[in-house]
Amino acid sequence: MNWLCPACGCDNANDSLRCTCGYVIMPNRQMIPHDATETIVGAEPPIGTAPMNENDVNNSAVAAPPELKLEFIGSAREYFRIWAVNLCLTLLTFGIFSAWAKVRKKRYFYSRTILDGTPFQYLGQPLPILKGRIIGATLFAAYYISSHFITSLLPYVLALGAVLAPWVIIRSAAFKARYSAFRNMTFRFEGDYWHTLKVVSAWGLVPAIVIGMIFKWWKITWIEGALFAIASLLFPWWISRFKSFIVGHTAFGGKNGRLSTTGGQFFNIYFCAGVFFALIGIATGFLLSIFLPSKNFAHFVFLFSLPAYAGYVLAYAYVQAHTGNLVWNETTLGPLRFRSTLSGLTLAKYYLTNAMAIIVSIGLLTPWAVMRTMKYRADNMRVLVAGELTAFHGSDMTSVSAAGAELGEFFDMDISL
Amino acid sequence: MSEAAMTVEGTYFDGYRPIGLPIQLSLLDEEMTLTGAGMVKTYHTSRLSVTPRIGCADRFVTFPDGGQVQCADHPSLDLLASDSPTEGSVAWLEERIGVAVCCVALIAVMLLCAYFFGLPAAAGWAATKVSIKTEQSLGKEAFAWLDNERWFQPTELDEKRKSRIKTVFSALVSGLKMEPYYRLEFRHSKRMGANAVALPGGIIVITDEMVSLAGPEDEIAAVLAHEIGHIELRHAMKQVMQSSAVAVIAGVVTNDASSFTVAVAGLPALLAQAEYSREHETEADDFAFKLLRQHHISPAAFASLMERLSKDHVDEEKYTSFLSTHPVTAERVKRARQASEQFRKH
Repeated sequence: MNWLCPACGCDNANDSLRCTCGYVIMPNRQMIPHDATETIVGAEPPIGTAPMNENDVNNSAVAAPPELKLEFIGSAREYFRIWAVNLCLTLLTFGIFSAWAKVRKKRYFYSRTILDGTPFQYLGQPLPILKGRIIGATLFAAYYISSHFITSLLPYVLALGAVLAPWVIIRSAAFKARYSAFRNMTFRFEGDYWHTLKVVSAWGLVPAIVIGMIFKWWKITWIEGALFAIASLLFPWWISRFKSFIVGHTAFGGKNGRLSTTGGQFFNIYFCAGVFFALIGIATGFLLSIFLPSKNFAHFVFLFSLPAYAGYVLAYAYVQAHTGNLVWNETTLGPLRFRSTLSGLTLAKYYLTNAMAIIVSIGLLTPWAVMRTMKYRADNMRVLVAGELTAFHGSDMTSVSAAGAELGEFFDMDISL
Repeated sequence: MSEAAMTVEGTYFDGYRPIGLPIQLSLLDEEMTLTGAGMVKTYHTSRLSVTPRIGCADRFVTFPDGGQVQCADHPSLDLLASDSPTEGSVAWLEERIGVAVCCVALIAVMLLCAYFFGLPAAAGWAATKVSIKTEQSLGKEAFAWLDNERWFQPTELDEKRKSRIKTVFSALVSGLKMEPYYRLEFRHSKRMGANAVALPGGIIVITDEMVSLAGPEDEIAAVLAHEIGHIELRHAMKQVMQSSAVAVIAGVVTNDASSFTVAVAGLPALLAQAEYSREHETEADDFAFKLLRQHHISPAAFASLMERLSKDHVDEEKYTSFLSTHPVTAERVKRARQASEQFRKH
């Protein structure tokens, strides 16, 4: 016999306990939403309220659950509707609706990510985001025009960008934190401009190299090459410091995050990916040199871009998976620890099958691709509790403008973990 | 108002601890009663707000004291004020699969219309709004950049040959709309091979390699006429506008895909831009045929040069560039031959 979901009315087979919309039915009871169980949701019983059952208190005090269950329950069917409607309205309104579209999608992703029975909440509002987008788009257009057409202006624009970058990073992180909530408590990010500038510019080293290259301070090519090589080698240490900075200034319930990675750990990841990509490149070049002399082959040269593309995707997925694992595994937030077990190979498989599905379906399978990738990521994340959740204490919130966050989005600044 | 009655189980979060308490929400006659978590509280519905509906997800009701109750979605919750009122109608649309199907159809129609009519027309209109002064300064910037980045080296042609080509060029441009702004430049270019480039604002660069490949003056005139076509039709500005617009639209459409798949986002933009640039080449060809006819030169010169270029293309790598962004050579040669047939009849 089938059961009807009380929330969306979907007809569900009896062998599955969860509806596509996220409802979970208890095996021995009927149609009980996943969050309204009789036991207390959360790791500990409430303080100062009468517990429902003496045993519950004693049990949870002695053996607090060591792990909070994290799951992503978004369904491709549901997200398809959200995706289609919002994309259509965005195009119809020449992009103005994109602020609403962003909020709707974020709201969906957040509300379908469930930690210990409670969904996350996205609190961003469309109108402030629209305002931020207009500011961001204007500045981005100025950058685009100056960098593509009035190249003599570019150095000054980049210098301005270097000055603005820390502000954009702080605002982005603050906006993201302030408008993400869990159990009626928002996250918080606090960083000051000078500290951020010091981290981002690595005591002025990064802007000095970039601006110097543009103004051609040093005329000799090998100096430029050497500086570029040094900057690349130092990048793992820079990114480690940057991520630690972001995590360390993000707080939830009065507890700041803590990230204890070293540059060497990042270096290992980038080094392996680099060596792998170089080997693919050498192999492709070797094959090309064998086949290219034959004239009939000239039309099939593009075939060699395929292994190069596959190699690139693999290297990219490897870096994504392993930096993700590294950062999460070294992060603590109050009593919380994280275990991320992403695999580069699996992630690459997801990327490649996603790309194929999206191309073959002329984009219609995009929502499906998004949902399955998010589910994979959530399935490989475990949240452990070493202590009491009551260590988190909520406090009052102040509002944060969206301008910086939207500007960061236009420039593709990724400050997420 | 008995139809407003509802009772749902929920979880209460006080906002100070990440701990949930089971609670019961009951709504009766514009009064919401909270029962559980050691309290019984009643509020008037006007003092409560609820998060907008999204899919079948649970919703959160916020109380005046800052507490929230997470509960399953219920139609009666829409009686409360929404935390984000403008999202209500969007949520209504998102619930209907019929609306989603219509949206997909509408997206397809909009993209096709924009691609075939909207963008070219808008870019053409916008291109005419750019002042010639601006365009000239852009052209100068681009030319300086090409020189600086070693795309070009100084020409190795002798003065006699140069002045002969200049004479042909000034004859071709005389009487055209953009006549006062034209400037012909000679450059040697190993990287570009046999090529000619029309930069914004009237600068036309022809490479030594092209001059030596072309040989007869008529063929050089054919190449120059093609580049003059780009300038007269303001293709450079149009191209800039179109490619920016395509990049923006492709960015919006593939927004979701880009973060979960690599290199899908760039594909549509790339294809669309290649198509637009081929269209411009065809337009410039047509312009060139007309201009050549006016100067009593047969478009056959164009055809023979194109054939020579494509022959060299097979033998040598260095002639690839002029052909890659251009329409298939055989087709262009055919069109040029047709044009020369017409030329002979007149």
